Amino acid sequence: MNTNFLTVKDVSKNFAGFLAVDQVSFAVAQGEMIGIIGPNGAGKTTLFNMLTGQLRPTAGEVRFRGQLINQMPPHRRARLGMGRTFQIAKPLIALNALENVMIGAFLHRRRLPEAREFAYAILEEIGLANRALRRASELTLSERRRLEVARALALDPQIILLDEVMAGLNASEIEQAIELFHRLHARGLTLLVIEHNLRVVRALSQRVIVLDHGVAIAEGHAEEILRAPEVVTAYLGREREWTTS
Amino acid sequence: MDNIVTIFIFGLLLGGIYGLVSIGLTLIFGVIRITNFAHGEILMIGMYGTYFVYVWLGLNPYAALIVVVPAMFIVGLLVQRLLIQPLLNEPMMQIFATFGLLIFLENLVLMLTNGAALGIPSEHGTRVISLLNNKVSVAQILAFAASTIIVISLHLFLNQTMMGKAIRAVTQDKRAAATMGINVNRIFLLTFGIGTAITGIGSVFLTPIYTLSPTIGGSFVLAAFAVVVLGGLGSVWGAYFAGLIIGLIESFAGFYIDPTLKSAVWFLIFIAVLIVRPSGLLGIAGAEEVGLREQQ
Amino acid sequence: MSSNSTSLKALTEPQVADAPARHEKLGPSSLQVLGNYLLGMGIALVPLALLYNDYYWINILTFAYLMAGLASAWNIIGGFGGQFSLAHGVFFGIGAYFAAQMYLIYGISPWLAMPVGAIIVALIAVLISWPTFRLRGPFFAIATMAFNEVVAVFANYSESITGGARGLLIPFRASFSHMIFVERWKSTLLMFAFMAFVAAISVAIRHSRLGYYLLSVREDEDSARASGVNVVAVKLWGMAISAALTAMGGTLFAMFIRFLDPPTLFSLPEVGVKFALLSLIGGVGTIWGPLLGAALVIPLENFIRATLGGLPGVHLVILGILLMLAARFLKRGIVGALANLHWPQWKSRR
Repeated sequence: MNTNFLTVKDVSKNFAGFLAVDQVSFAVAQGEMIGIIGPNGAGKTTLFNMLTGQLRPTAGEVRFRGQLINQMPPHRRARLGMGRTFQIAKPLIALNALENVMIGAFLHRRRLPEAREFAYAILEEIGLANRALRRASELTLSERRRLEVARALALDPQIILLDEVMAGLNASEIEQAIELFHRLHARGLTLLVIEHNLRVVRALSQRVIVLDHGVAIAEGHAEEILRAPEVVTAYLGREREWTTS
Repeated sequence: MDNIVTIFIFGLLLGGIYGLVSIGLTLIFGVIRITNFAHGEILMIGMYGTYFVYVWLGLNPYAALIVVVPAMFIVGLLVQRLLIQPLLNEPMMQIFATFGLLIFLENLVLMLTNGAALGIPSEHGTRVISLLNNKVSVAQILAFAASTIIVISLHLFLNQTMMGKAIRAVTQDKRAAATMGINVNRIFLLTFGIGTAITGIGSVFLTPIYTLSPTIGGSFVLAAFAVVVLGGLGSVWGAYFAGLIIGLIESFAGFYIDPTLKSAVWFLIFIAVLIVRPSGLLGIAGAEEVGLREQQ
Repeated sequence: MSSNSTSLKALTEPQVADAPARHEKLGPSSLQVLGNYLLGMGIALVPLALLYNDYYWINILTFAYLMAGLASAWNIIGGFGGQFSLAHGVFFGIGAYFAAQMYLIYGISPWLAMPVGAIIVALIAVLISWPTFRLRGPFFAIATMAFNEVVAVFANYSESITGGARGLLIPFRASFSHMIFVERWKSTLLMFAFMAFVAAISVAIRHSRLGYYLLSVREDEDSARASGVNVVAVKLWGMAISAALTAMGGTLFAMFIRFLDPPTLFSLPEVGVKFALLSLIGGVGTIWGPLLGAALVIPLENFIRATLGGLPGVHLVILGILLMLAARFLKRGIVGALANLHWPQWKSRR
């Protein structure tokens, strides 16, 4: 088991004076489920953006499968096996759901019929098969969220980064989603999950990393972390951040 | 030595003209974030309007300001309301629509004037004075002066009046401006009107200098875009100074290399700025912001 | 590396067995696509079959086919890829001048010059696009417009390469190898073949990985990147193919009209923007849109020019109005309007 599947070493992001991420380090083993939590503005999405390539780190190293990927453009990281969802789901609205997923499917399947088949299979797994031919603009929020996940899965990723993918979903939708990710995890997918929802964090994290003001203030097993004093302090006065279901 | 001075003076005056042509454009660009490909043609109809006011009313062409500027303001309102506003979220359709406007206006004028080359007679266009041992056209000096007065007035308007501040707010962040109670659509309308009216002022001062033809707009528009980009989108001072810079570059390039290569100069400046420093000299809105998905 | 591929593969294998019925609903089969294409080309051939002897109509038809091909070529990068290029007039012009000069100076057959010119133009297109594709939206259009202007000026200026403002005249010496024909309908057939060729490539691209990638780039570049699309490469490929096809059209045009001068070739409203306009009216981003646009607008234009020809610029005034109306009310063009009627659930709610 590769314990250094994804490693982040002293990674920082400085936006013209504003230090959004400050020397964060951690390692993800292949097949793990890692949760990333922290108050709003802690730098979680910025961290993700540096992992998947939307931003370049101002310092530090990101390595995936042994390769230094600091400067690697997003499409090549996808090729390497990284999939990701975005906080604001932005499907390609003029295309239908199936076509949206096909774009990702084309990464490892050159020919149209294979890409189409694979895309459809993913839609089935995710429960969107009956909406396959609907324009993305016609999908509900929860469907768009699922489409986001489907598009990431179409890349046949080895690790998937989920950025608050549960936000706005109701309780039963959340349960379905958790079940889906458990299934995928059981088949070997590594998960890196940003979440505010306690239930989801507990269900989808073996280890949890806590970010506050860009700094990794704690790291450990989910239950310990959720009770650790410094974590509670980080949220003190901002209890609204925690949503329980 | 005389030569350098001449080139310099010519460049500055040309720069004044470029400023006149571009200030309205950059204002519109900065606020509404659309590209009006028909900008040159709007300038052109302002010039033809000036000409006809002169011919029909017999007034001094500069007096045509009284008629042309309000008329252009209204034209701006119409174009914004009918063509631009409905297409705010359709960047490709904006390009089509403004090109349609370009083709329409250019050929409308061609049709109505039957292709005749028109020009305001000599006394206004060729009166010269002597400046530093150079013969300089009065009309060009007036254009330069107009450009300077416009940019100063606009600066005061944008900074000292409520409406001007509202416009600046929308330029910086229209969503935030909307949450502060500013009616963004109304500001768009107003800005397009003002921008067109300013272009109208420009056309009045340009009419005595140039021979009019329906395609004269086209010969300004590329330079105007280069000026706007160099000066920084949305910055009226930027447009003013960038106009001067480009006027000077063109003047020197024209003398030392070849006058017909001026469009190459504009193109190179345009590309260079957008690649090296997209926000231009004094940009309020960086070029990255005039992207495809930003206008919601 | 394979541990995860199997996770989802295991998912797809059982389903493949009951595939057939489902696949018909997901999208057209290759056979259907081919069938549609042949049907379309058959219909497009009908006017030629009926009018090959009519001197007046044959001219219009020739231009209509040529413009249909050129509009389709533009549509590959402009419609599928969403990159509004105003540089295609340049590609057209270079294709024309190159073949003309190869013929006039070296006696080389345009059939040979055509593919060579196409490749040269593709390289130029890539060279010019590589920096300008970084520019967002309207700036790309402006940059390509400026490029068109620069080349037009240069063409006027350099007598040795383009014959300058006086233009180039190709004497009438009919032969197949010269691509010059006595019977008009042969030229028309050649233009039809060009259109059919471009349409075929258009169809092939649309139903391929490149086509889907182009669409994704048009819709949302960042999203596309996250889905593994090499946006820069996709744009450059789309541009190269589009430019090469446009250059070929230029060659055909040169040998048909046999007189080239910069205003004719580099005028934006007549050439550069026209390709885009035809695509818009027919339906930008669709396969049949550019063809329908040409089929409608070219004869219409001629009709207007013929009846109202006295007044200069009238047909362009109408064209301008058409363009504004289409952009405002008919964004998806004729194809889109028809689709809305046929499949109301596709109507987008904006």
